Amino acid sequence: MQAFSFSTAPLDTAAYRAALVDPSCGGYASFEGWVRDHNEGRRVERLEYESFAALAVREGERIVAEAVEKYGVRRAACVHRIGDLALGEMAVWVGVSAPHRGEAFAACRYIIDEVKHRVPIWKKEHYVDGDSGWVNCERCAQPSEHTREHGHSGRHHDESADGRTHAPDYSRQVALPEVGVEGQAKLRRGSVLVIGAGGLGVPVLQYLTAAGVGRVGIADGDVVEASNLHRQPLYGPADVGAGKAEVAARRLRALNPDVQVELHAERASASNIAEWLERYDLVVDCSDNFATKFLVNDAAVSLGKPAVFASVYQYEGQLQTYLPREDWPCLRCLWPEAPRDGLVGNCAQAGVLGAVPATLGAMQAMQALKILLGLAGEATPALHTFDLLGMHWHTLKAARNPACDHASRTLLRDASLDVGEVELHYTSLRAARASGLTLVDIREAWERVADGPEPPIDLHVPLSALVEGASALPPEGRYLVVCAHGVRSLALAEHLRTHGYTEVYSLAGGLAALRNSV
Amino acid sequence: MKRIHLQYFAVLREQAGRSEETLDTSAANPADLYDEVRTVHGFTLPRAMLRVAVNDEFRDWNASLASGDRVVFIPPVAGG
Repeated sequence: MQAFSFSTAPLDTAAYRAALVDPSCGGYASFEGWVRDHNEGRRVERLEYESFAALAVREGERIVAEAVEKYGVRRAACVHRIGDLALGEMAVWVGVSAPHRGEAFAACRYIIDEVKHRVPIWKKEHYVDGDSGWVNCERCAQPSEHTREHGHSGRHHDESADGRTHAPDYSRQVALPEVGVEGQAKLRRGSVLVIGAGGLGVPVLQYLTAAGVGRVGIADGDVVEASNLHRQPLYGPADVGAGKAEVAARRLRALNPDVQVELHAERASASNIAEWLERYDLVVDCSDNFATKFLVNDAAVSLGKPAVFASVYQYEGQLQTYLPREDWPCLRCLWPEAPRDGLVGNCAQAGVLGAVPATLGAMQAMQALKILLGLAGEATPALHTFDLLGMHWHTLKAARNPACDHASRTLLRDASLDVGEVELHYTSLRAARASGLTLVDIREAWERVADGPEPPIDLHVPLSALVEGASALPPEGRYLVVCAHGVRSLALAEHLRTHGYTEVYSLAGGLAALRNSV
Repeated sequence: MKRIHLQYFAVLREQAGRSEETLDTSAANPADLYDEVRTVHGFTLPRAMLRVAVNDEFRDWNASLASGDRVVFIPPVAGG
């Protein structure tokens, strides 16, 4: 059911309650608000409720989402009656289900208090003496307990230091002839899904939120790490270890309470991405791996949604926009065989300065805003490459590849991406050899020198030579491929599996894992 | 012999130790040209993983080359 809704008919609590049932929940708490027969000393006969629905629903949804996040409850919903109500009728219902009763009670209390305080609903009281009067429920109440308790304003508009509230001010962008009031309304109606809240994703999320895009979705299953902070300044040291999507959502809501920020706190996969993307106008890919980029590409092509891709390597970046048009190339038109993660570059971190993904991310935000605003922008499809060290920008025209079938694109998972049986765990190389596998070390010569004592290995063939043509390895053999940390060996094993090798495995965790297990 | 202006990106730039160079070559197409510079610079990436652009347009590996062409070899990058 919807998190917050209005009903003109009497409230059907049994149906609402049923929608909150969840096998992981051990408790359910609900609140019912009824029309009573007196208010401030006057006898009331009946009530009329009216609301500014668009605004009210958005604010109501925000309150329910806050309660879910704040108290960690499973499900929550609120329904408010509008229209004429007689004495004793139910005006509002709140329900919450949670693993434990404490959170359920707390979240339920939070929702009703905040709804009474923040949602724009007007109440007309008809008194027994024939008189009547409008009462604006929004903000007519005392400041809610939650606001007082936590000293933060959960209101629609933020309070500044002088205590006055401020509506978002978009005047500087509305002043652009290409934007205007109409453009701002387009942004407000717009929705963007951002895959990855890292170096690229942070500026994308910040600028789309600040610009007043109506709904912004964050998809990221990672936690904040200390090594992220230099290039992801939406997070601070206190966030290390916390879920990235959760922290980002909190910060963005504070940045612009006008925007509906949605959380998808898991890694994008073939089983969730289409369901997510269906609900947005376009997707911005800020992921850091090929598997996700091609997944996003396929989802965008199959659903006919624009997509903005970027990636960085040290001081360089690439930017490509997909538009769902007949003649427009997708990522696969350019790279018919999706590159495997780990094969380009090497295990060692390439290194990056935060300003590089920030630059590319800002460009992605710009592309996304142009698409929402309907600004022509790109007339011809291209891959843009940026060298921020030398300050060179190349626009390489790309064309639709006729062999790349867009019409029947699906999200069928590439079976070779399932890593389960490709990775094998061993505590010693002797054990691996005992199971009849030929050990193949694919580290480059310089690494073997740098890594120290040589392990007992059968064959040394650097990765670069193997990818080119694996002639050194007869396909009928049984191999365990080994590298420093198990990233390249896994990529190679998967690659060989798709090229006629049936029994090639990767040593999970690489030689480092063996050393650690000793 | 034709004179080709070459540009390198990402891991190719690292391995070549430069971002561009001008080369006199007899290579008939980008494929031959890559094989040639691969030997010189010790590039580890096989051609199958790259794309090539000639005069700012993506082209086939067997497109013909002319003197004065600007050639860019582009490896896919995924960092974010």
